[in-house]
Amino acid sequence: MVALIPMDTEHEAYLRDESRSTGSADSISFPRDEAEIVAVLQRIREAAGDGAPAPVTVQGARTGLAAGAVPGGGHVMNLSRANRYLGLRVDEDGVYCLRVQPGVVLAELRRHLADKSLPVHGWSSDDLRALERMYAGPEQFFPTDPTETSACLGGMAACNASGARSFRYGPMRPHIRGMRVVLADGDVIALRRGEVRACGRRLRLQTESGRKLDLSLPTYDMPQAKNASGYYIADDMDAIDLFIGSDGTLGIISELELALSPVPAFTWGVSCFLADERAACEVTEAVRASISDTTAIEYFDADALDILRRQRALGAAFSALPPLADAWSCCVYVELSCAERERALSDLALLGKILVAHGGSVADTWVARTDTDRETLRFFRHAVPESVNMLIDERRRTDPAITKLGSDMSVPDGRLHDVIALYRSTLADAGLESAAWGHIGDNHLHVNILPRSMEDYAAGKRLFARWAAEVSRMGGAVSAEHGVGKLKRDFLATMYGEEHVREMAQLKRQLDPWCQLGQGNLFDVELARGGDRA
Amino acid sequence: MNIVVCAKAVPSSTEVKMDPQTNTIVRDGRAAVVNPFDATALELALRIKKMRAQKGDPTTVTVLSMGIPATQDLLRDCIARGADGALLLSDRAFAGADTLATTHALFCGLRKIGDVGLVLCGKMAVDGDTAQIGPELAGALDVPCVADVGELVRVDEERIAAWHATDEGRELVEVGLPAVLTISKDAASLRMPSIEGVLHAEQAHIAVMTAADAGVDVSRIGLAGSPTQVVRSFVPERAVEACEISGTVGEQATRVAALIEEAMR
Repeated sequence: MVALIPMDTEHEAYLRDESRSTGSADSISFPRDEAEIVAVLQRIREAAGDGAPAPVTVQGARTGLAAGAVPGGGHVMNLSRANRYLGLRVDEDGVYCLRVQPGVVLAELRRHLADKSLPVHGWSSDDLRALERMYAGPEQFFPTDPTETSACLGGMAACNASGARSFRYGPMRPHIRGMRVVLADGDVIALRRGEVRACGRRLRLQTESGRKLDLSLPTYDMPQAKNASGYYIADDMDAIDLFIGSDGTLGIISELELALSPVPAFTWGVSCFLADERAACEVTEAVRASISDTTAIEYFDADALDILRRQRALGAAFSALPPLADAWSCCVYVELSCAERERALSDLALLGKILVAHGGSVADTWVARTDTDRETLRFFRHAVPESVNMLIDERRRTDPAITKLGSDMSVPDGRLHDVIALYRSTLADAGLESAAWGHIGDNHLHVNILPRSMEDYAAGKRLFARWAAEVSRMGGAVSAEHGVGKLKRDFLATMYGEEHVREMAQLKRQLDPWCQLGQGNLFDVELARGGDRA
Repeated sequence: MNIVVCAKAVPSSTEVKMDPQTNTIVRDGRAAVVNPFDATALELALRIKKMRAQKGDPTTVTVLSMGIPATQDLLRDCIARGADGALLLSDRAFAGADTLATTHALFCGLRKIGDVGLVLCGKMAVDGDTAQIGPELAGALDVPCVADVGELVRVDEERIAAWHATDEGRELVEVGLPAVLTISKDAASLRMPSIEGVLHAEQAHIAVMTAADAGVDVSRIGLAGSPTQVVRSFVPERAVEACEISGTVGEQATRVAALIEEAMR
């Protein structure tokens, strides 16, 4: 039987996640499957008697950046040990759909798919036949690619994670075909994409025990931008989409069915170095409009490249990075994927023309066509945030309270120049040091403020609040991929308005009347319970 | 100065899987790559070229390989990264060659390129691990050889100085040119091509020569020209035991300490 372990020093790490926030909890459990998840919930209910059951914070690999997995008291349910591969089917369109438990780690999934080594213990003969067919055909992969590959699939679904390739493939959402969700009361909902849809803004669900739920969905409209802020809501929406990106507040994901895709025959990554940011935006817009094989468009600004240059000069891990010419002020990374080499070459030639038309040069590029070169570019892209973290760690030696402030906002197409102009002018006015990088193809940059003092930190927080308001006015999202968690819930009201956030809380109460799950995520505890504080 | 870099196509996977029945390498169907040691040799050649260009000394870098026709793609990639040209020795008659037979073929290729001032080879290939081609080639050319070079110090028209690894550490040596150097993998990282380089390489001509074109002695190439006899190959047996350690942190630490002590005995 799964144990409810009293929280002790041995489990302190489970009070934190990658956001560097720390919480508190009374107990922790490590269920290995759905039955154990249900058992833990039942024991927590029993322990509460007639009172409110203890809050439950669900965790996966704790790689989230919005503190969604950081407990605010009560119980921590860590699903990292629910990490089995459950089966495989081929759908009517020939798409391979893999069932996994939520604790399966992305890097391992990728490795098993590439090596054709999926663990098949307990699989049925139908599953094994589908596997044999898949292995005999073109190599498959799971397209969602957050930077942190030690993330687990359940966590990725809970925050609707994305990554560089979401430009082509979108976030987690379209790649989830099925899901099993344990509600706070232990009842289970099984969902398969396309089977249950809302009627306008009313959604009727049936649990496995036969209970019928008639949910009233919030009335807001989603932004026309990359978005991981609050519940996904749309007229006639698919029921499964409500639970994807719900930040662990509506139910506990106990099983996922993932749609795999064939690996493109040719994937070439091209780092294009340019002299100024305006040119980078123009190149981005031109690539977006004219090269349909583009899978990712990423950006690194002048400050990010300078930090990288300094770290490289210091030696150690980053000395292996290729040298960056002084004249290079910023970098646009374009990834091209297609089935034929001739087409990849013609895409590359077109990219070259776009660069030249915007003041760039075909010589100032790195083209990665081999695994070794792709790994070098991956190392380069990861070295940027790591270098920034090292810089902050250095500053924390003089003031331990200092932390990096990283934005995660997106705007619709057509507002890229506006949002960058906003960032630049306000950063300059505030006199703050920063470095920006991220998914420029989706109009989604991570602008990182690098405080030198607590005054800088406070000024940065004020700036983020202003950006949240301005980005919302542009029709954008306050969190495009990290989720809202606990750190960005104030922005949720800025984006949707307090009334709509209240509607989200009402929706939560219909599924989780005690407001037990993911307490503190998306909204303040009081608001979640029906109070007034947003 | 003409610099020739010898390059071999090797399987891209670094995790070599063996078929337990046949004891042969399981080819996973992935594309071949330039042997990483040879890639480093190419980078050093390109750096020498740049260094000499700054002084106004012209240099050409040619990549030489013996392999199947598909190796042309890899040679084209070398041109995309900055090599001036490439020569591929490709003929069924070369198949099954050991290092001595390969050396004879490469020697004939070098003769065809002509007027070679410096030959750079990777120290070894990741699939064969012999580290014999470079020294054998130096022997065939009757020129000095410096093996396992980690850093180039000086190159001029007449001489080259480099640090190379020895059993005791490293040693700075200077030899007259022409010479053969074999290069350590850590000496440099091969640069990436630019869009300009890739598009230029697509138009480049890759010279392909048969055994007859290269003027080889047919008795010294391929399987027939290989004195090496492979009597048997096998995967060494490995005993791996796994055990789960449970209990409190203190108990687990005690158990780990006991296991380490047992292993050290």
